[in-house]
Amino acid sequence: MGNQTKKAVSGTDELVMPSPQLAVEKKKTLVWIYIVLTVFALIVALPLIWLLFSSLKSQADLTMNTWGPPKQWMFSNYLKAWKGSKIDKYMLNSVIVTGLTIVITVVTVTPIAFVLSRFNFKGKKLLYFIAIAGMMIPIHSAIIPLYMMVGKWNQYNNLGVLSLIYAAFRIPISIFILEGFMTSLPRELEECAFIDGCSVFRLFFKIIVPLTKDGIVTISILAVLASWNELLVSMLLLSKPALKTLPIGLMGFITEYNSEYTQLAAGIMMAIIPSIVFYILAQEKIEKGMIAGAIKG
Amino acid sequence: MKVTKKNIGTILLFLVPGFLVYAYLVLYPILQSVVMSTYTWDTLASSRFVGFNNYRAVLGSQMFWKVLGNTLIFMVSTTTLQVLIGFLLGYLIYLQLKGYRLYKTLYFIPTVLPSVAVGFIWNYIYSPGMGLLKPLMNAVGAGAHYIPPLSSPQLALIAIIIAQTWNSCGIQVILFNSGFMNMSSEVIESATLDGATGWKMIRHMVIPLSWDIIKMVIILQTVGALRSFDLVYVMTGGGPNHATELLPLHLFVNAFQNFNIGYGNVMAVLIFVLAMTITVVMRKLMERESLY
Repeated sequence: MGNQTKKAVSGTDELVMPSPQLAVEKKKTLVWIYIVLTVFALIVALPLIWLLFSSLKSQADLTMNTWGPPKQWMFSNYLKAWKGSKIDKYMLNSVIVTGLTIVITVVTVTPIAFVLSRFNFKGKKLLYFIAIAGMMIPIHSAIIPLYMMVGKWNQYNNLGVLSLIYAAFRIPISIFILEGFMTSLPRELEECAFIDGCSVFRLFFKIIVPLTKDGIVTISILAVLASWNELLVSMLLLSKPALKTLPIGLMGFITEYNSEYTQLAAGIMMAIIPSIVFYILAQEKIEKGMIAGAIKG
Repeated sequence: MKVTKKNIGTILLFLVPGFLVYAYLVLYPILQSVVMSTYTWDTLASSRFVGFNNYRAVLGSQMFWKVLGNTLIFMVSTTTLQVLIGFLLGYLIYLQLKGYRLYKTLYFIPTVLPSVAVGFIWNYIYSPGMGLLKPLMNAVGAGAHYIPPLSSPQLALIAIIIAQTWNSCGIQVILFNSGFMNMSSEVIESATLDGATGWKMIRHMVIPLSWDIIKMVIILQTVGALRSFDLVYVMTGGGPNHATELLPLHLFVNAFQNFNIGYGNVMAVLIFVLAMTITVVMRKLMERESLY
């Protein structure tokens, strides 16, 4: 399984990619290909451009001129939306939750993946199976007991508990990905380390972890995508306005600004900009992560 | 490496915290959900065992069958659309014509956006007041046929299926693309030399060679439909008249709005069982010796 992951991951590595010498000789075919690509590109881009335009129009301009670019660029919409909402607060909360989720996921998963990939012992296969069995479990199937459990602990409105739950559901897939990474490291590593009198602890921290950096980045990025946009669990566990994460904060904002479309559009724009920036900065890593996470033996 | 007396302490220290979190917050709640599906709550504080009564209530509920039907329609349509579009665009990008990176980047953007924002965008596209859809229909001369799709029981689910496809198709594009990239270039080249082009190439070379990824995308997408909650919740709340209610929302409404906790847990068990069954069955069905 690990090998397959590796193979698929390196498949997107565009530097070593073989150029597919396919016969697209006919001009007519070429034109058609570009038409199809562009039509779909427009379908993706138009709603976003339209949102951007709407966010910069005056209310009257929006009603009269649904399609076109703004007649006057109303940057004040952004200022109003920023001031009128707690979008900065929501983002901060989302940053906290996402950061904690990453930390908990990496700290719990890396040592497990290390033991499962580098040691031989009875019951290892079973343990690995149990660990990754959770990959197929939708969080919905656990949400009612989780909700009641957190209530029993009296821990609603606790960003840490929310992150812990997010991290718990990241564990199976993260073990799956990291175990694949670590299995592919050469066996000789340990032998050298032990000849030098290295303990398991040192081997892990000084050799394995640095060599698995890519894998750790991958599971972190997947954790970001999963927790930054999560709606259902956060909605159930957080009710205090000051603690809302971006998705639920945005829900409230939409209800509140229901009639002021331009400010609403500005608020939504502000909410999606971090995601787009993150994607553009980490594009290749995100795509690789998605592929690594999707491939299941 | 072998486990020895000297290192077993470290190994346990490495295994225990993660497994504890996982067992307590993932596995245990799943089991509890199964147990809770056989209980009924008279008040939030007192519950009693009722055997399969909740299951009988679910099977006897017309609403449940409607929701299950919606979920199946949603599942089949989103999977079909996304597999077709994902395959097509993944393939066209794989040809690596000038500018393909830009297209690839663009197609993926919607998948990283918060679903609340996506729901909002599509609500406004469909809205009669300032939406894009109405002027678009006017432009092609079909304006007279416009009805607000989200308030029409016949169209609302279709409208959500389209929004969902817009939202998540980029993942399929990337997955298919990576599958095509993994095809052996020698095989493709020699097929080209033998004169395979266009459809022939796709049917006899590309599909068999990337069958593993096709299989995987179909399974992922089908099971993924069982988790679709956000867009429905944001765009319609399941309405009009439950026309867009899917299993996860049905669970949510019953457990957290009607406080029918037993019924909600039956849904939880059902979603879990369906996810497992679909994965196993589809994997078996689509098993096929690869070419080599």
